[in-house]
Amino acid sequence: MTKPYEPLKIEGLDIEPTVCARCGFCTFVCPAYLDTLWDSQSPRGKLYQLRDLIKNKKKIPADFAARIFNCTLCGACQEICQTNIPLLRFWQLTREEIGNLEEWPEIVNYIDTALQETQNIMEMDQDDRTLWTDMVDDLVEKRTGIKAEVAYFAGCNISFKGTLAHLGENTIKVMDAAGVDFTILGSEEFCCGNPYFVAGGFDKARELAMHNLAALKELGVKTVVFNCPGCHRAFAEEYPHLLGKDSVEGLEFLPFSEFTLRLLKEGKIKFTKNYPHTVAWHDPCELGRHQNIYNPAREVLNAIPGLKLREMKHARNKARCCGGGGLLKGTNPMMSVRISGRRVEEAEKTGAEFIASECPSCTMSFNDGIEHKNSKMKFKDLSQIVVEALGL
Amino acid sequence: MLRKQHFQKLADIVGEDYFSAEGYMTHLYSHDIAALPGIVNDVLNPHAEAIAQPTTSEVVSNLLKYCKENNIQVVPRGHGTSGYGGALPTKGGLVVEMTRMNEIYNIDKGSMTIEVGAGIIWGKLLELLEDEGLSAAAYPSSAPSSTVGGWIAAGGSGIGSTKYGGIREQVVELEVVLPDGEIIRTSQSEDSVFNEGKTKPFFGGDDSFYWESEESSAPNKESTSLFVDSNGTLGIITKVVMKVIPLRKIKPLTISFPNKEQTMGAMQAILRITQPFYLHFITDEFFGMLKEVGKAPDVAGEWLVLCALEGTDEENDEVAGKIAEAMAMYHGTVESDEIGHHEWDERFYPMRIKRLGPSLAPSEVYVPLERMVDFIDHCYKHFKGERMAMEGAVNHRNEVAVLTWFLDDERRRIPFLFGWYRSLDVINIGIKNGGRAYSIGMWNVAHSRKFYGKEDYTKMAKLKQRTDSKNYLNSHKVFPGPLYLSTRIGLLIMFAAAFVVPIVIMFAWWLAPSVVAAYVPWVVVNDIASFLLWFIVGLGVGFVVQEFANLIPISVVLSIGLPFLRLGRKIFH
Repeated sequence: MTKPYEPLKIEGLDIEPTVCARCGFCTFVCPAYLDTLWDSQSPRGKLYQLRDLIKNKKKIPADFAARIFNCTLCGACQEICQTNIPLLRFWQLTREEIGNLEEWPEIVNYIDTALQETQNIMEMDQDDRTLWTDMVDDLVEKRTGIKAEVAYFAGCNISFKGTLAHLGENTIKVMDAAGVDFTILGSEEFCCGNPYFVAGGFDKARELAMHNLAALKELGVKTVVFNCPGCHRAFAEEYPHLLGKDSVEGLEFLPFSEFTLRLLKEGKIKFTKNYPHTVAWHDPCELGRHQNIYNPAREVLNAIPGLKLREMKHARNKARCCGGGGLLKGTNPMMSVRISGRRVEEAEKTGAEFIASECPSCTMSFNDGIEHKNSKMKFKDLSQIVVEALGL
Repeated sequence: MLRKQHFQKLADIVGEDYFSAEGYMTHLYSHDIAALPGIVNDVLNPHAEAIAQPTTSEVVSNLLKYCKENNIQVVPRGHGTSGYGGALPTKGGLVVEMTRMNEIYNIDKGSMTIEVGAGIIWGKLLELLEDEGLSAAAYPSSAPSSTVGGWIAAGGSGIGSTKYGGIREQVVELEVVLPDGEIIRTSQSEDSVFNEGKTKPFFGGDDSFYWESEESSAPNKESTSLFVDSNGTLGIITKVVMKVIPLRKIKPLTISFPNKEQTMGAMQAILRITQPFYLHFITDEFFGMLKEVGKAPDVAGEWLVLCALEGTDEENDEVAGKIAEAMAMYHGTVESDEIGHHEWDERFYPMRIKRLGPSLAPSEVYVPLERMVDFIDHCYKHFKGERMAMEGAVNHRNEVAVLTWFLDDERRRIPFLFGWYRSLDVINIGIKNGGRAYSIGMWNVAHSRKFYGKEDYTKMAKLKQRTDSKNYLNSHKVFPGPLYLSTRIGLLIMFAAAFVVPIVIMFAWWLAPSVVAAYVPWVVVNDIASFLLWFIVGLGVGFVVQEFANLIPISVVLSIGLPFLRLGRKIFH
């Protein structure tokens, strides 16, 4: 049994609710607040409540715990914070406290059980990890578990959700077209642990992290490529935090956009075909605000002949969330869809044909949001645009 | 005190989804940006009993009508981003939060005015105006989260005010719901609103919550002006017609100086050259604190002036050249464009330094620019040994809206309580140096009459008397109101007196037995029964004392308490 608010205290963040200036700047960038316009859903309101609870050494009540999970962990609050409160970490650790109190939402407990039993969030057999490769069987047939310097890490969503399999297929096609010698882990690919990091179950992610790193190192991998920013962030930021910087030494982690840009610069792929479409780019929170990666995708899109890139009113570090982060899809699916709908509305104002991003979670959210809003826009993942532009 | 039937009726009026009486929710809407010392919280007992978020003027009207009939206290609230206590509930009741009235109703590029809901956030408004090639002439430094109606109610100046004036100068017309539920446009003549003869009301409130609007007549500036700064005491502002300007280029210059004399001299010199969009300074101590939190730019001097020019590139470059030339005389260094833009981007972030506290005791007062050096010297002398950050922005009347921040720690209850006097003393020092209060809210009620001027204050008081004689709408703001001690504090006083009375009697018998025996021999505590008797008398005395305390205006309590706080700070600091 841990002491009250120990996760926050260990990192010295229990003072942050008192540091909060209550200016409310975080409120009007917070997707959960904007969905309800009640301060109880805003970062300011939550910090104010936590301030009193921490001061009076009281437990987080169950209803408040549920509100803490009404959050996409998009990081917009941290970005605008007047007093530079590291809010992303703060919310993660608060969720850890909620876990210690055994007050995690039902969906988080379900994911926890699934991960403990099957090493993936879908509760499926690990042998089915390569179901996504069906359409590119010929390209990956002899690549599972082989030694190579480049590995593709698909992640649970792409591996098991048929509607997202095309992201993985696209990446494989690009790698093949560029002549990259790559490997995939197959059934040795475990969940990256992102759901645990998001829910504050850090210790539970330890084994998954160690397994994945060991599997990659055993194959002599130096570069790992991701379509999923959540997986990418887990490897690039959470693993070193959890296991120490040494644990990831000798490995580089690249999102699809950065990897593609490298291939372009090295001349391994080249866009020659005209691609006469207008695209509104959405920065995934876990790449953008969380890791400050904004430019590679734009550079790739700008390299495609005929493609017109449109920026939304809120772009880059001010980009609004798609509603898919922070496990909100599981804890409050309706709120998630409404948030996505608002982002779709913003994209519509650019006059673009497509909303584009590079993230399986954004893909799911935007497809829901487009349906919810009856929008004429279509969503395309960056990998899809690249494959179409290359004519693969 | 709200009762069960009130909750249901209020929820019916505003809509179930837009009403809450949950404990955690009322807690969140019972504070503003300022942290109050524990005992001040106990005495004032700012605790709302319910929150309503109206969506139309008619709903506001019906809410007010119902609350007036049922004697329910109402506190209007924008987004709670001010620190003057203007949105604090003092006697429980209903907080009416306006953020759902956030539409843009009209943009008139001919007259360069817009009509918006009072609850629209400045940040959102600026973004939407930008799409139209427009901008607000002035907006507050809290723009990312404060409401248009909130700033109008609280008053003051902000970014753009050096050139275009404060919020008062921007408002053309208001739609206001008076305390009796009547909806008026301030375009009605001042006589019809502030004196007896009323014209036909737009809407008098009804039970079916149905209303159709009528067209307003030409704006009446004076009537409009009397509602600005009135802190929601005269009515709830629901719609605003305000001026806008074309969106022009902003060229921010950051100029650093070695000392206050050069800084203030340079600011006056800039104003002789041009009326910039925004002219702002920070002191060297503020700069030092920014350095500690990693937000200070790398500059030559530690006194910084931000001068934002507005116009075409050519116009701005020409004026910037003249300013740069003039600054040499004041040993000023015009810093790089990058630093200029950094400081401009930081204009919304005056509280970066709060992390060093982790609390801040803020204060704000207007001081004439030509008296600023005296004012700063006076403050430094008066607050010797205190860590004080100071910044100021010049308005169109060459007054500086000075904002001071004292680092403090609210977790240290006693020193934090005593340190509270500093916020009030800064205002007094400002006034001694030719200044005036910045905003009234609750804490500056003692300055009300002077702030509004006798004539306007009388007009406002008359309207208040006519429409809200029981003072149910935002009591204790602008007009003095008595303390409303919480039950807890009331009981505390009674029991304290209950113990003090028999102890004093025993002490008197020990100290001067002959005097007591000669004059009041029946006043004696020598056994349990007599102790209990005087204990009960003490309870009665305590009851009378707390009832008497409930008659004292908060402003008087503050005036009486100030010297004690000052003394306490000296002891505990």
